[in-house]
Amino acid sequence: MAKKRILLVDDEKSFTNLLKLNLEDTGKYEVRVENWAEDAYSAAKEFKPDLVLLDIIMPRMPGGNVAAQIKEDPALKDTPIVFLTAAVRKHQVEENDGIICDHPCLAKPATVEMVIETIEKHARK
Amino acid sequence: MDQPIKVLLIEDSPPDARLLSVYLSESRTQQFQITPVSRLAEALQRLGSEDFDVVVSDLQLPDSQGIATFEWLKAHVQDVPIIVLSGSDDEILASRAVREGAQDYLVKGRFDAHGLVRSITYAIERHRAEQALQESEKHYKFLLESITDYTYSVKLRDALPIKTVHGPGCISITGYSPDEYQADPGLWFRMVHEEDRAAVVAQVKAVQSGETPPPLEHRIIHKNGQIRWVRHTAVPSRDRTGRLDSYDGLIADITERKRAEEDLISSEGFYHSLVENLPQNILRKDLNERFTFANQRFCQMLGQPLEEIIGKTDFDFFPPQLAEKYQRDDRFVIRTGQTFETIEENQTPSGEKIYVNVIKTPIYDAKGQIIGIQGIFWDITERKRFEERLQKANEELAASEAALRKSHEELKAAQLQLIQAEKMEAIGTLAAGVAHEVKNPLAILMMGVNYLAKKLSGTDDNIVQVVKEMREAIDRADSITRGLLDFSASRQLAIRSEDLNQVIEETLRLVRHELNKKQIVVVKHLGERLPHVGVDKRQIQQVFVNIIVNSVHAMPEGGTLTVRTYSKQLTETSHFEGSRKATHFWVGDIAVIAEVEDTGTGIPEENLAKIFDPFFTTKPTGVGTGLGLPVTKKIIELHGGSMDIKNVSGGGVRVTIKLKAHRS
Repeated sequence: MAKKRILLVDDEKSFTNLLKLNLEDTGKYEVRVENWAEDAYSAAKEFKPDLVLLDIIMPRMPGGNVAAQIKEDPALKDTPIVFLTAAVRKHQVEENDGIICDHPCLAKPATVEMVIETIEKHARK
Repeated sequence: MDQPIKVLLIEDSPPDARLLSVYLSESRTQQFQITPVSRLAEALQRLGSEDFDVVVSDLQLPDSQGIATFEWLKAHVQDVPIIVLSGSDDEILASRAVREGAQDYLVKGRFDAHGLVRSITYAIERHRAEQALQESEKHYKFLLESITDYTYSVKLRDALPIKTVHGPGCISITGYSPDEYQADPGLWFRMVHEEDRAAVVAQVKAVQSGETPPPLEHRIIHKNGQIRWVRHTAVPSRDRTGRLDSYDGLIADITERKRAEEDLISSEGFYHSLVENLPQNILRKDLNERFTFANQRFCQMLGQPLEEIIGKTDFDFFPPQLAEKYQRDDRFVIRTGQTFETIEENQTPSGEKIYVNVIKTPIYDAKGQIIGIQGIFWDITERKRFEERLQKANEELAASEAALRKSHEELKAAQLQLIQAEKMEAIGTLAAGVAHEVKNPLAILMMGVNYLAKKLSGTDDNIVQVVKEMREAIDRADSITRGLLDFSASRQLAIRSEDLNQVIEETLRLVRHELNKKQIVVVKHLGERLPHVGVDKRQIQQVFVNIIVNSVHAMPEGGTLTVRTYSKQLTETSHFEGSRKATHFWVGDIAVIAEVEDTGTGIPEENLAKIFDPFFTTKPTGVGTGLGLPVTKKIIELHGGSMDIKNVSGGGVRVTIKLKAHRS
């Protein structure tokens, strides 16, 4: 089975390093990290991920704009996007069945298990 | 033999002094005791300390010459006769001394022993006689001056005066002697004071025509110019045939009496004027309570003239109760002799109510017996009314001051609440920011710990334990940041109309396990037909969970948890129930109230003010975040409600939640 391709966009370098390490350690995922929001769209075009893990509050460009760029691209518009952010709280996520702004959402700090669970649920099969 | 005659001999010439002494010692009829001195000063000194029967002095002395010597002596010894000695060349001087009062003078060399003794004894005798005469004259003069009456008699012929004889007393009363009257027939008339002459003439005419006129009091002018009052009584006298031949008059000096009368009249006038012009009512009563005097002011008050008041009592003018009171006060004064003073409410006979200040004092007769009372009273109604108004104004002032103080305190309390509310807002904003920024590092830590846990599983037990505790610490930090975010205002409520009783029942089911574990009995008094409230059910459940968990912590050995709900229409409210942003309660609003009461340890008084402060906790680290109550209160305030926590007497705490009934 081919590894799922995960594009991780977050300005927190340590967080992206560790999450990438954790995910790739499972052997099931190939993770590409982008720490600058403006680089995310081109990375997506090039990487063609099965799922984008997207931070919302980032310098220079918010995650919402990145999501819009991807969704506007006909080639990428079906790419699942999951927000992974400190801006929402866990129970808010739960109350809305995990959907915020039309996209699934994970509240930081999330455990690796929760991240994997979400990926498995939403990633392109 | 008689006592020796004490002689002070003043002579500066020793031979002369010796000669005189020899002469006096030779006398067989009289003994002399001689004190010789040679200077005037010495003589005066002796005279000041000793008694002498006679002074024999030379006029020419070393310290005094001529007539001055005699004058010095005379001034010092009025009662002792003085005989002066002179030389043959100054006999004129000596005779002058005799004119001035010396008893005799002796010219040296021209008298013998016999002459000297005779001169001395005669001088003493003569001096005694003079003294006696002076005494007698003085006495006579005194008698004469104390005479206050004299008589006169007028002989008539054909009803005309032909001869008048004045008694000797006239001189002491009028200053004129009988002879003067005799010599001047018009004197008696001129003596009469001009204004009284007509009356005197009328009286004289009456008596000259045979009538006996009534005594006449009139003024005369004394010879010395003074005015004197006399009482003149004249009676006609007839001879054997019944013919009027004379009349006799008695003039009595009544100046003293007249003056006393005038003084009395003037003094009476003075007191009368005082009594009638004073602004006080003045009255007197006898021992039988009958009025004996009333001044005009009091007469006016009673509305009766004085004649109608004298002899009557208070019962004739005042209501019985008042009259009885007045008489009681009078009897007190009569019994005790003390002054009675009071302020009393009085009623005038015209029915007007007045306040009067009364002073009653006893009246004494000449023997010191109390014979009645004197009352003085005056209207103080105006003063009293003014005092009453003043007192009322004072009371009003005090009341408004109290109201002012109360509203000031309310304002202060409201201000404190506002400050507290603003503080909470600021903390909330800060907390939200901090929480967000803490979450990213926590996410990193979480990833790291997850990785380590996986990589190190199955190795050293200690390593596994370390990783596990790190994981728990991250959870705790996460829990605190979540609490902080809850506390911050950025929250959207999902308001629905809910039955508060149902919310509470569900909450109790959620915490049933905790309650059972601590063996806590739950007592429910949930009001029937409670109006619904507009709330976010999840949030309100969290409120009750927080409150009940606190109660459980306060009852580690078990206890009773009482939950009560009811509704009521508010009749009073404060403008500042809580946060400035919270909806206020108004009078007339229907409030749904929930009370949760425990039988736990209660809250120490010093902590009551701090329980809503974020991070204030009395629980061990890790057990409480210090955010439970602040978040709870925040939620209630976001719902426009209020929350209050009080200790209840007998231990334990009562939490009162007040929510507005949902408008249907």
